[in-house]
Amino acid sequence: MNIFRRLLNSSDAKPSDISNSSVEIKQPASKGSSQTPPVPAAEATSPITTHNDVYLGDGATRPLNEETLLNYITPKHVSFGQGTDIGSVRTNNQDAAFSFYATTRSATETPDFGLFVLADGMGGHIDGEKASAIAIRVVAQKVLASLYTPMLDLSNDNQPSITESLQEAVEAANAEVNKAIPDGGTTLTAVILMNNLAYIAHVGDSRLYLINGNNIDQITRDHSLVQRLIELDHITPEEAEDHPQKHVLYRVLGPNETVEVDMLTRRLPARSKLLLCSDGLWGLVENKDILEIVSQSIPPQDACQKLINLANKHGGLDNITVILIHLPD
Amino acid sequence: MPETAKFSTLGNEGGQDNSLKANFVLQNRYKIIGVIGAGGMGMVYQARDLNFTDVKKLVAIKEMQPTTGEAGLRATMLKTFRREANILAALSHPSIPKIFDFFDLNERAYLVMEYINGSDLEALLTKTKDLPTEKIIDWAIELCDVLDFLHNQKPDPIVFRDLKPSNVMVDSLGKVRLIDFGIAKTFVTGVKNTSIGTEGYSAPEQYKGDMTPQSDIYSLGATLHQLLTRKDPRLETPFSFNERPIRKFNANVPDGLIQIIDRALGFNAQERFQNCREMREALEKLRDKPSSNQNQPPQSVQQYSSPVAKREGTDIFIEDSANGAIQPKWIFKAEDELRSSPAVSGDLAFVGAYDTNMWAIKSDTGELAWKFATKGGIASSPTVDEQNKLVLFGSEDFTFYALDFRTGRSSWTHPTKDRIRGSARVAHGHVFIGSDDGKMYALNITNGRLLWAYDASNPIRSRAFVTNDLVIFGSESGEITGITLSGNRKWSYRTRKSVMAAPLVDMKEGICYVGSTDNFLYALDANTGFNSWRFRTNGSIYGSVAIYKDLVIVASVDKYVYAVNAQSGKERWRFLAEGAFVGAPLVHQDAIYVGDTDGYIYCITASTGKERWRYKTRGSITSTPCATNDTILISSMDRTLYAFPHVG
Repeated sequence: MNIFRRLLNSSDAKPSDISNSSVEIKQPASKGSSQTPPVPAAEATSPITTHNDVYLGDGATRPLNEETLLNYITPKHVSFGQGTDIGSVRTNNQDAAFSFYATTRSATETPDFGLFVLADGMGGHIDGEKASAIAIRVVAQKVLASLYTPMLDLSNDNQPSITESLQEAVEAANAEVNKAIPDGGTTLTAVILMNNLAYIAHVGDSRLYLINGNNIDQITRDHSLVQRLIELDHITPEEAEDHPQKHVLYRVLGPNETVEVDMLTRRLPARSKLLLCSDGLWGLVENKDILEIVSQSIPPQDACQKLINLANKHGGLDNITVILIHLPD
Repeated sequence: MPETAKFSTLGNEGGQDNSLKANFVLQNRYKIIGVIGAGGMGMVYQARDLNFTDVKKLVAIKEMQPTTGEAGLRATMLKTFRREANILAALSHPSIPKIFDFFDLNERAYLVMEYINGSDLEALLTKTKDLPTEKIIDWAIELCDVLDFLHNQKPDPIVFRDLKPSNVMVDSLGKVRLIDFGIAKTFVTGVKNTSIGTEGYSAPEQYKGDMTPQSDIYSLGATLHQLLTRKDPRLETPFSFNERPIRKFNANVPDGLIQIIDRALGFNAQERFQNCREMREALEKLRDKPSSNQNQPPQSVQQYSSPVAKREGTDIFIEDSANGAIQPKWIFKAEDELRSSPAVSGDLAFVGAYDTNMWAIKSDTGELAWKFATKGGIASSPTVDEQNKLVLFGSEDFTFYALDFRTGRSSWTHPTKDRIRGSARVAHGHVFIGSDDGKMYALNITNGRLLWAYDASNPIRSRAFVTNDLVIFGSESGEITGITLSGNRKWSYRTRKSVMAAPLVDMKEGICYVGSTDNFLYALDANTGFNSWRFRTNGSIYGSVAIYKDLVIVASVDKYVYAVNAQSGKERWRFLAEGAFVGAPLVHQDAIYVGDTDGYIYCITASTGKERWRYKTRGSITSTPCATNDTILISSMDRTLYAFPHVG
């Protein structure tokens, strides 16, 4: 950025081009609550004043000065990171993760499309890692074939229901794991992102969190015995913490020929974040610590690494896998 | 999570095989014949007692092999095993296997007991297709009897703790025998790794460490439930028996048995039978009842096809007030059929009739305020614009009317090229109206001047929904279209048959809900038209949806009103009516009002789908009710507009 700025300042850089450019900031509709464009802290002194000049309240629009223009960053697209670690205790990594994001700019207005899948396998020895690997592969293959490829065909008419396609993909993954790994199973949490609408499929106790400002909400419901006991008001969340059967799941992909999949849709607020994680993270890192790391203004890939580091610092008792997605403005 | 097992009870498989081999003789007395099962902490063998030389006396020998390497813990385990063996040895009951011997050898403990020639219930379930209900009742009575015996032991009651099909043997005489007295269970310590599948049969309180005789009653209920439904509770959501009604899977079970099992499965211990004697008496009463009662025609399975629906006929839920207690506050008679819905503004109600008139009626008394005649029948529902004090509607005479709603005088009209049966929507200073001529018109609300007309090439009867960016409507072609406020197509989604219903957009979530005559309710992304989910009914959907909290309410020609979770597209409840639904439901506070083609208007509790009251009009209802604070208005084909009190 510094080099870039120096280049502009030293060269002629046709400043007139910039001042004549069509970028305008209109007077915000609701005064006071307007969000000022983010300006890096280091630049806070001089640009801020110029900046304020724009909001004179006289209704006139003026070109921004160069520096503000160059530092004006509004994320227009999703950014994401993915990380996994074997942890500090286990001898193999039975987690699996898949991230896919396609963004298109053309006259045909294909919406941005993302698919994020996380699976945490279980079963003796290598069965777990096989189960999770099958699960993410089948879901990715089915979803891309039934939803993404048709989108490129412009076949908007009679397109399949996204929830149905996603659910069918997860059911196909279940059948595949059931056939291939009779003694294993896997959790699965999958998110399809189309613009700012999330379609979610979930089985097991991996989690999806929505982080918006200072709120962190668990969107998925653990299919665990203790969660069920909490929902039925039979034990408290505190009692669940050290319940002897804390790790008993009643629903995963694999053991049965059919599986009931939790499906839901969520419209995501601007600048919110989605976090998919295996129990290796949420079992060892408290929500407030997750929130703190995720709220830092660092690239999502770095945040993923920090989350993994913290889980390892707290013992790393299990494999740790995270996918973090930043939504744009 | 490497070291996990599918079910925690099978935790000791895998290691090297150190079980006793055939022909091995234990204690110089018991000659091993073979392995008959794997218990909690070791093998169970079949053996021959060599002390009986002339007869072949068979015994079962249970082996306890502490898997822990830690000496102190191992000692405790052996001690507990021995103590339980002593308790067992002292028990004498026909359903409890006799204990013959107990000894330690090579750090393993052995329990010698009666060999039972038979099959356990779990094996019976896989071997058979259908177990006779009478047999199951007999077994249940015997199990109550032995549990009652255990629960009445002194000084402390014995709680079996682990009743499940695999722990109940049926011997060669057809009598039940309890096996596996939870001896090993005491030693099962917390499973550290994630495991799949729960115990399934255990009562909720057992997970807090509370074991009471009532816990055994719950497990007995769970066992009976599985015998009748063939649904393994270990593979289902824990404590969800009530979501799998026995009737749904087995139509031949008498009501009395279902009630007994439901009570045994009470979530809280105090909801269950007080003791096994009480449960046994209930079962005996059922068994001894003349069988006429058991052979009653099974209720239709269809009725139970939803996991939530627990309806047992419509009448059951009608509250007292329904029996004629709800009467209209007033009625208003028009000169021909009322096919469309009323609208209200302040103290005036408006309704169009096939007699060509738009009627304005005082909403508190039902007296006529004014009427306005068009040149054709009116099938379009009026729309009120409070700001400009207009009532807007179309007519079979091809014309769209805007009247001053205080006087009934024409403010402006706009011609189209065919009949207008759709209804108008007012937004952004314009009115949007579809016509059978295939166009969606955007007209200036104050003077009726045409802003644009979008050609859908097919009759439009679906009322448009207008968001901040889009006008969304359906057409005869089955297409749902989103056009920009300047009249350009942004997206379309094609259903298989015509869309007459008005789309409804949840503005917060940006999801558009609309039903089609292809039987589906669709949830579309309002910005892109992508199909988020769809929900299938068994009949055409003509009416629009209503929203109550997180529920989308839709009524179908299949006579059902459905409540569907907005986020998942899954059914929450359904309500069966007498006739088909063509009109749409209205949500008013916590109630749903909807009319059917048999002439009934129903009031339903929105959260549960239970009926509060119904009233029969003399004609079909094809329209949607409308509400003021305390009054519900609905028009019927019997030429009458009804006003009912709304009871909050």
